[in-house]
Amino acid sequence: MILSRLSVQSFRNLAATTVEFGTGFNIFCGDNAQGKTNILESIYLLGTLKSFRMAKNPELIGWEKQFSLIKGLISDDGLNREVDLLLDQAGKKVRVDQKTVVRVADFFGILTVVLFSPEELTMVRGAPESRRRYLDRAIFAGDVIYLTRHHEYMRILKQRNALLRSGDTSSLEPWNEQLAVAGAQLVTSRVGYIGNIDKLLKETFREITDTNDEVAISYHSGSLAYSEDLNDNIDRLAAALNKRREPELLQRTTLTGPHRDDIVFTINGKPLRHSSSQGQQRCFVLALKMAEIELLRRCRSVSPVLLLDDMTSELDSRRIANLLKFLTDRRMQVFVTTTGTNDFELFEDNNLRLFHVEQGTVRPANKA
Amino acid sequence: MLQFSASFGRLLLELKKLPGVGEKTALRLAFHLLKSPGNIEALANSLISVAKNVHLCSVCFGITEDDPCVICSGGRDDSVICVVEESQDMLAIERSHAFRGKYHVLQGALSPLSGITPSQLRIAELLERLRHSQTREVILATNFSVEGEATALYLAKILKDLGLKVTRLAHGIPLGSDIEYVDAATVQRAVEGRSEF
Repeated sequence: MILSRLSVQSFRNLAATTVEFGTGFNIFCGDNAQGKTNILESIYLLGTLKSFRMAKNPELIGWEKQFSLIKGLISDDGLNREVDLLLDQAGKKVRVDQKTVVRVADFFGILTVVLFSPEELTMVRGAPESRRRYLDRAIFAGDVIYLTRHHEYMRILKQRNALLRSGDTSSLEPWNEQLAVAGAQLVTSRVGYIGNIDKLLKETFREITDTNDEVAISYHSGSLAYSEDLNDNIDRLAAALNKRREPELLQRTTLTGPHRDDIVFTINGKPLRHSSSQGQQRCFVLALKMAEIELLRRCRSVSPVLLLDDMTSELDSRRIANLLKFLTDRRMQVFVTTTGTNDFELFEDNNLRLFHVEQGTVRPANKA
Repeated sequence: MLQFSASFGRLLLELKKLPGVGEKTALRLAFHLLKSPGNIEALANSLISVAKNVHLCSVCFGITEDDPCVICSGGRDDSVICVVEESQDMLAIERSHAFRGKYHVLQGALSPLSGITPSQLRIAELLERLRHSQTREVILATNFSVEGEATALYLAKILKDLGLKVTRLAHGIPLGSDIEYVDAATVQRAVEGRSEF
């Protein structure tokens, strides 16, 4: 899919504008704090309704403005669709082809975005929650039911925790049963997804780094060993809940389940967070994103749009060259922010559009 | 509004307590009533009469004017009891004419977040009732929400231990609807719960 046109109005510091994009690389250059990342953020919002900076609406809406409007024209296989996103103090409203969208399923999938930004290194070094959030979003990009399941699980979890807090646990059993089923559904999707992405990650990591380092991603759930079979996982989770009843009653919260699980990244068999350089960690996350793209392309026949925030500060020139080749081979549409344009000389591609961003104004520039 | 008329202001506040009624709707309703004094009296009388005469049936806990209610005292099938969360669920099933047995209204569903435990529901009364009746089957017709499902699971365990046949309402694709318009999660459940032709 291609985002061929973007209009923004009163979004962060951006001046009202309409920009036409190319089908290949679209590069936004300019000094720091000019608004380059805001453009990527607006595109990310169009695809996911979320800000990758975890920003709430008031921060997204321009200074002293009532609302902001983001419009995108997306073409996929000859089909053009228009997505309008209105942000106001009350929330977000989406229209697709001038029609208000009621169900999320009617919206998701029109523009699929994959993001790589410096902040995502927190995925390697940060708390398990950031990895779970990444995994959930990645699965959801290809599986709409997953979101419904996730909501259901969280609802059961909240009810069960409330019950544990109340101290009266005589009616715990029905909540255990429901938690085991809903939790096992999440876990089964996650284990399946990780299994697929792990194979692709090994390929993309090699393609980008030209090294023989062995990378892996795996799903961890304490002492629980999940399989890819749903009924099997229901039994395991149910047994684990029974086993941990005593500590749960003591701590008054649910101690087992997908909300406590983690994803482990390893390089040459060692945990990535301890045993590798920052550069290697960046390459790992980048390769993971490329694997995500490959999975969407192969399993879902979806060709997502890639957002690369501040890429040049992330990688050395050989790896940038490998990355660019990877993306050109797959004819991906890519949006890149950078402070310099030097790295793109590496790469004599006609399918390159350059934009200057200065104090919130975006204007097309001639190729440098 | 209180500065114009204290009684008008009080009416507004009472109306606003109703579900789905906010400031604007309350004002519209109140002004409408003012214009037709005849209707006001009829409405007031029916409200008072409801408060005085309508209460919960002492057997099934559905709403009724007589005790026990027409369903409990009539010649309905004693061998099946359908358990629902609220009186309106019982009305919905009655409208379908599909069920000829008796009912039991729990007056809610398990929800630890709202502090609703089994003892707040009419579960003890249900068990007491079952002890003295000829009931062989209990249909669990609680809602298909997380809370309704928990309530059904809770009851199923207890009722099975009493040696009763326990059934649950079927769920899936609504009658008369096109599969293409049904949400993905419902379709998935319908496929999983398919039955032999």
